[in-house]
Amino acid sequence: MADFVRIVLVCAVGWALGLIASAFALSHLSPFDRVRLGAWSIEAHAGSNEADPYTRARLARTGEIPLAIGEGLRLTAREDDEGRPLDGRCVYRIGPRAPAARYWTLSLVDPIGFPVANPAGRYGFRSSEILRAGDGDFVITAAADVQPGNWLPIGAPGSFALVLRLYDSPLGATAAAIEPSAAPRVTRIGCA
Amino acid sequence: MTAPSGARGLVLFIAASAILAAIVHLVVVLVTPVVASGDAYARLAPLGKLNETVALPRADPGDHMLPDADPAVAMAFCRYDLGAGPIRVRAPIGRAFSSISFHSPRGPAFYALTDRAGARGAIEAVLGTPDDVRALAAHDDEESPTRDLRIAAPEREGYVMIRVFSELPSLYPEAEADAKRLTCAPEPAPR
Repeated sequence: MADFVRIVLVCAVGWALGLIASAFALSHLSPFDRVRLGAWSIEAHAGSNEADPYTRARLARTGEIPLAIGEGLRLTAREDDEGRPLDGRCVYRIGPRAPAARYWTLSLVDPIGFPVANPAGRYGFRSSEILRAGDGDFVITAAADVQPGNWLPIGAPGSFALVLRLYDSPLGATAAAIEPSAAPRVTRIGCA
Repeated sequence: MTAPSGARGLVLFIAASAILAAIVHLVVVLVTPVVASGDAYARLAPLGKLNETVALPRADPGDHMLPDADPAVAMAFCRYDLGAGPIRVRAPIGRAFSSISFHSPRGPAFYALTDRAGARGAIEAVLGTPDDVRALAAHDDEESPTRDLRIAAPEREGYVMIRVFSELPSLYPEAEADAKRLTCAPEPAPR
């Protein structure tokens, strides 16, 4: 009898742990294909046939169509430079440089990857439209309230993510080769 | 067999649970791409007929069809079935960056081209099964070699996605119009 109870218990615990581990793994970027660059994470092979099983399973669930190798590269930040989760009640400064690419865009999305409604109707910036200093450096300010310069509105108080897409970038699959200093810094200025 | 007791029983219990958990986890991860009903192809396929170019709505807070779309980039796709022969994929090059990627129903793109690979004002390629591509190559005229780029698709079905970058918000409608100019047309098979 005791044996039977043990076996049932092992099955229940094993099954539950397996499912919890899977749910966690598939709602995060693959741990085996992640390059960190300051605040940014890159899934270097998401758009190639070398994508690992975790990446494939995650993409199959979300319906995302990642940029293919050669098209570009996506960098995602869910935390600021100091590792604190991005919070809609705070103000962040993003800049001053982005890695080499023909074009890049920086957009603000909710935790599952959709733009966040805001009164300004602005969901991101393009490298080709942004206001820059004389030396080409830029600052994008993510904040709930209106800011001078490049204001990226935060439409909701919860957590959010920043997505930097590099189009036609020479970096491609060699994401690991990006100089950490080439990625924009994500600096928290203050919180309401 | 006597039931293990005390510390040894606990260790066995934890080990057995962990092994079972690992097996369940691996099976879930490996099976998900095969059984997932919300992947990109499942979302796109109902939107258009074969070889028809369908523009995707712009990334918007109110539209949850495809996650992870760039609001600065216009997208359109066409679905193909190479059972009836190869197709010719063509898109005129616009003013900024554009790219075409080729996808099977599952998994990442198997091929991609950017406007840099374009010639004579367009990105163009012939997509076929590996047999089609071999047959086309066998019929090449040595006197006037083809300028076609031929791509062998790993599976019969799939979709072609175009992305067109808009340099400014006001240029988005133009990018959208360019994306809609993607064509996927049946290509006569060689005889």
